[in-house]
Amino acid sequence: MSGASSAPLALRLSVFGLLVVFFQIGVVAEVPVFGVNPELCALLVAFVGLLCGSTVGAACGFAVGLFIDLALLQTLGLTSLIFTLIGYWCGRLRELRDPQAPLTPLIVGVGASALALIGYSLMEFMLGVDAPVSFELLRQLVLGVLVDTIVALPMWAITRRVLEGALPEDPRRRRRRRAYTTGGLSPLSKA
Amino acid sequence: MYDKTVRRRRAVLALLVVLSLLLLTAYFGEAPNGRLHGVQRDFLTVVSPIQDGANKALKPVRDLFSWFGNTLHAKSQLAQALKQTERLRGELVAEQAEKRSYRQLLALDHLDQLGVSDYHPVTAEVINKDPNVWYSTVTIDKGESAGVRRNDPVINDEGLIGKVAQAAPDGALVELLTNSSMGVAARIGTSQATGLVRPKVGDPNDLLLQYLPTNEQPNPGEYVVTSGTVTPAYPSLFPPGLIVGQVASVNEESAFKSVNVRPEANLHDLDVVQVLTAAEGTRAQSLSQVALSLPAGQQTAGGGGEQLASTQVGG
Repeated sequence: MSGASSAPLALRLSVFGLLVVFFQIGVVAEVPVFGVNPELCALLVAFVGLLCGSTVGAACGFAVGLFIDLALLQTLGLTSLIFTLIGYWCGRLRELRDPQAPLTPLIVGVGASALALIGYSLMEFMLGVDAPVSFELLRQLVLGVLVDTIVALPMWAITRRVLEGALPEDPRRRRRRRAYTTGGLSPLSKA
Repeated sequence: MYDKTVRRRRAVLALLVVLSLLLLTAYFGEAPNGRLHGVQRDFLTVVSPIQDGANKALKPVRDLFSWFGNTLHAKSQLAQALKQTERLRGELVAEQAEKRSYRQLLALDHLDQLGVSDYHPVTAEVINKDPNVWYSTVTIDKGESAGVRRNDPVINDEGLIGKVAQAAPDGALVELLTNSSMGVAARIGTSQATGLVRPKVGDPNDLLLQYLPTNEQPNPGEYVVTSGTVTPAYPSLFPPGLIVGQVASVNEESAFKSVNVRPEANLHDLDVVQVLTAAEGTRAQSLSQVALSLPAGQQTAGGGGEQLASTQVGG
């Protein structure tokens, strides 16, 4: 991705990322669904990785995570570490498998949400949280993933719509498109 | 070309992960007044006006979503409130008679405790809220310039909601009762036995009042209030009598009795709060300074441990 072609994408990602973070901490945080709050930021990072690849996904995850840690006075580096890994892995999924199924965003959303929630829990325990842990934590994790599943498809649609036009061209998709349009991969062409 | 792309991708990932780990290690190891904490406070100062604006702009959206939830709960709350009013009316008559003689006795024995009147309340608006199970915090629009300091108690019209964890010039971070690092010395109703209110991690709607004597007989529906100063050696940061919540159920599985407490304040719906700041020269200020001088996160063992721990982690 050249510097000139990445500038519009970086601009759109910055503005969209800021809006999502402010929406998350200003609205979503105060409106619990089934007692939990959707993790829009984790979904955003996962979908950016899925649309733009591992490098952009990881960078977006780091930036969004760092912004959240700074703005909410949380342990610095914690959210950025988890989001960097989410963005990278979702990007690698695109680069290695290039999944085209309609339910792919849903599955990626579930995975990202589970990774974020479990990652937070593990890191907090490793950092030495001194508090009793109840069965409720497991319930919260499961409910959190379920709620994120509900919002995954709308979030995917919005993210794709916002980034459309500035997405990097994937050489593999270009080859595949050319092959289909010219009949290169059609079994009829071999007859 | 392929190798170059792979190398670049791996280098970016390694760089970001190492950077995150470095930040994590440095932040976790430094004192609350360290450099990285300072950067966070400066960042909050810069973004708090934006957050404030975004909060005001998004309020109609938030209210719309909240309206549905509140309407669903209103009916059950009304029935509960009517039942409670009936019970409290009876208790009030009995309490009023005792109150007068109780105050006279306290004054006579010089047992007057630190009260809310010793604090100077600063009204603040909540500008954002962190929904994470591990960080139950809100950010408010008043900071050091309004006299807000670390460890100041924070209340709203329903009762105690938390304490100030960090203060920037124009904003402050408030740790709610459900934050994993919170602890408040409290007692049930008029009982003299004190315990420690801790959050149940993973359940933002539940608190646990621990270390109650086994002979205590708490009843569901009884109020849990801050105990304030219990012993001169370990004074509590919170004035006595602030409502924390109501007893939901009792657990007796360990040597000490513990009760589940439902927070009285709706921590999901905080718009306006009051920070109880300590005025110059008051006992509240000297207590606050003592608490600030204590090392953070120090644990205690032994008989008086609960009260000291509660002082250090917030209570």
